[in-house]
Amino acid sequence: MKSAYRFHRWSGHLLVFLCACLAASALAWEKPAVTESDWPTYGADLKNTRYRPFDLITAANFNDLEIAWQFKTDNLGNRPEYKLEGTPLMVKGVLYATAGTRRAVVALDAATGELLWVHGEHEGSRGANAPRGLSGRGLAYWSDSKQARILYVTPGYRLIALDAKTGSYAMGFGNNGVVDLKLNDDQDIDLVKGAIGLQSAPVVAQNEILVGAAFLDGAAPASRTNYKGYVRAFDARTGKRLWIFHTIPMKGEFGVDTWPNGSVAYTGNTGVWTQMSIDEELGLAYLPVELPTGDFYGGNRPGNGLFGESLVCVDLKTGKRKWHYQLVHHGMWDMDISSPPILADITVDGKRIKAVAQPTKQSMLYVFDRVTGEPVWPIEERPVEKGDVPGEWYSPTQPFPTKPPAYDRNGISLDDLIDFTAELHAQAINQIKRFKIGPVFTPGVVSKVDGPLATLTLGTNLGGTNWPGGSYDPENHLLFVSSCSSCIVPIGLVAAPKTVSDMGYLSGVAGQPARALAGGTGAGAGADALTAGNVAAMVPPPPPKAKLGSTVQGLPLIKPPYGRLTAIDLDKGEIKWQVPFGPTPDVVRYSPALKGLKIPPTGEIGPSVGTLVTSTLLIVGDGALGTSASGIRGATLHAYDKFTGREVGSVYLPAPQSGSPMTYLLNGKQYIVVAVSGGAYSGEYIAFTLPSQ
Amino acid sequence: MAALTRESTLHLPYLLNKRAAVILIVDLAAGLLCIAAAQTTRSVWDGIYTADQAKRGKLIYSERCFSCHGPELSGGDAVPPLTGSQFLSNWNTLTLGDLFDRIRVSMPADKPGSLSRQQNADVLAYILSFDNFPAGNSELEAQSLILKQIKFDAFKP
Repeated sequence: MKSAYRFHRWSGHLLVFLCACLAASALAWEKPAVTESDWPTYGADLKNTRYRPFDLITAANFNDLEIAWQFKTDNLGNRPEYKLEGTPLMVKGVLYATAGTRRAVVALDAATGELLWVHGEHEGSRGANAPRGLSGRGLAYWSDSKQARILYVTPGYRLIALDAKTGSYAMGFGNNGVVDLKLNDDQDIDLVKGAIGLQSAPVVAQNEILVGAAFLDGAAPASRTNYKGYVRAFDARTGKRLWIFHTIPMKGEFGVDTWPNGSVAYTGNTGVWTQMSIDEELGLAYLPVELPTGDFYGGNRPGNGLFGESLVCVDLKTGKRKWHYQLVHHGMWDMDISSPPILADITVDGKRIKAVAQPTKQSMLYVFDRVTGEPVWPIEERPVEKGDVPGEWYSPTQPFPTKPPAYDRNGISLDDLIDFTAELHAQAINQIKRFKIGPVFTPGVVSKVDGPLATLTLGTNLGGTNWPGGSYDPENHLLFVSSCSSCIVPIGLVAAPKTVSDMGYLSGVAGQPARALAGGTGAGAGADALTAGNVAAMVPPPPPKAKLGSTVQGLPLIKPPYGRLTAIDLDKGEIKWQVPFGPTPDVVRYSPALKGLKIPPTGEIGPSVGTLVTSTLLIVGDGALGTSASGIRGATLHAYDKFTGREVGSVYLPAPQSGSPMTYLLNGKQYIVVAVSGGAYSGEYIAFTLPSQ
Repeated sequence: MAALTRESTLHLPYLLNKRAAVILIVDLAAGLLCIAAAQTTRSVWDGIYTADQAKRGKLIYSERCFSCHGPELSGGDAVPPLTGSQFLSNWNTLTLGDLFDRIRVSMPADKPGSLSRQQNADVLAYILSFDNFPAGNSELEAQSLILKQIKFDAFKP
């Protein structure tokens, strides 16, 4: 089933660094050989700050950045990939990253980009059945005094340990370097067909590896029954399972009473598919849990359904729950908790608090004391609208943080509609009559041809802030986050016959037959080359009859800004500044309907992007293509003043930022590496640094 | 709150960044050569597919693309839309050949490359019709080098 390939064994030549590392390390357990110059874990540190205290690249020289190297990922699978989402690691002069359609691991010389080794897994039908394929978001690094390992999860849900120097399997770990994650998960999972996987990076803390789970997109699942997305910890040396946390409680466990009518038996998902955060000093892990099966219909799972859409704090050593907070009761908007919790030490009214701040798709930032789970500022349960979808169960209230204020739109009112001209506004109002609109937590509707076709709101499955999350400047207690202000996803439901799904209702549009959707990105992307007979003779369903109509004269229904970048003062719980983020879309810039109007920067249309913060700058790249004032098509890597949001520098990117930027110091130089891809541009890591004089 | 000043500063770094500037000049030169050779005079507004072809494409879409891109071509959580402002903005000024190749190489995600070139062209015709680009009298060719001569303009030039 599996075979590995690699070449060019690494020649160790970094002893100097090794000495520096051992000296610099000040951690209690066996000292990891990483230094302050490195980027040793997905989020820069286990607090997921995406912060490094570097100051070589500044506002004064950012525009001088030049490309140090580029690494094209086309040949790491059987075809190019257009969705490179990884954040590389850099440890001791070597850059490690996942890339390509098979999620290969590459080790590169961090100064030159030279390929040192590559490892890939051919997983056959198991890979082809993966719910979350493609290159994934990254990997983890572990070391003790004797050895160093790279850990990652394959599309087919196997945890692989590699020797960091050579890329060969780490012996002594699992079965010849492999732990099959479909085994030993307190449930039976089909080894080949079971659609469970993980696209995020495993997290290594002390000598433990934490792994979550991800599934197919849940807008229109084929069944209310699915695998459960438990969280497990494994021993970094042996691969032995240390503990498991049941994100859907088992019989007798805390929270099982939040699943009436026996729904706990069949309901699945509820995984942790985004990055987890860890406080090593406190010995606590923070698990951001997604919603249970059915993104937009929860009629099969009445009740609040713990630990769906909850932030759960567990003991790092045992996996035992310390506290939890449910951000969304009985979710039906696919809010999940999609981004890494950010651990921040703040000072509120003179009191020092070890806090955890959680950005969300609904653009509300939830801030807790991370020791006790108490909200730093009160979170109020407020009544929300009850819907009328047959069989659905509605929570009468939802939690609303009182501080900080929501940092982006999370609902739609008539005031949010396009208003460049009175005519466009009137058209939008007319068009939106076919829909139900409302604030955050407005329930979905059964789609009707004569209206409402669907609920239109914001802050649902695309976000707001999605998986790239935010970053945190511990020097100034500022949290930075990008968000989509215009990512509308119509929430309409259609009754599904039993032959299609036992869900009862699926996401869909009136007048079109209910269909179960795969929807997951790269589902099956690990498939091997074609064989004859792939094109199954299916009876095609009738094609769509009418369009939902999400634009007005080709323009977005929602007025700008379409995307935002926000800084939040975490000591005060206030928004410090906010600017439109990303290029003005060409459809707006060149719209005939707007001819003669002066359109200020609108920000981009598209999901949120990852930010990087250093001692000197906030750095983030466009997530969409645009055209510059001088007519150049492309994207831009921006540098912002952390305190004002003023742009202080920029460099050209050939394609949008698709993975979050990271930075490191090497040989007296600071580097920034970012993954770009999208549209016609296949995946590439680009490293920038300052010229050598 | 601070104003965004990116628009006014955007072009400067491209020129300051020597490497980017060199790349740009090379690109421009290559671009001019391409234009001279290929005569990119047609655009998606010139009736470059037929209604019948779009109909065939609709059936293929329904079988092979619908499951991820959905009934409204609007994509999903992790699937890009094939209609609307975001789609049109991202592909504006590129060529149909670029879009055709992207589909040919990476789609459908569960079996990349499993559609014939003709099927890909038909699906592309359906996407164009869904996005209200006009149909015409001749079918869309199924060769990317030919399609690279057709510009994807979000608005009628």
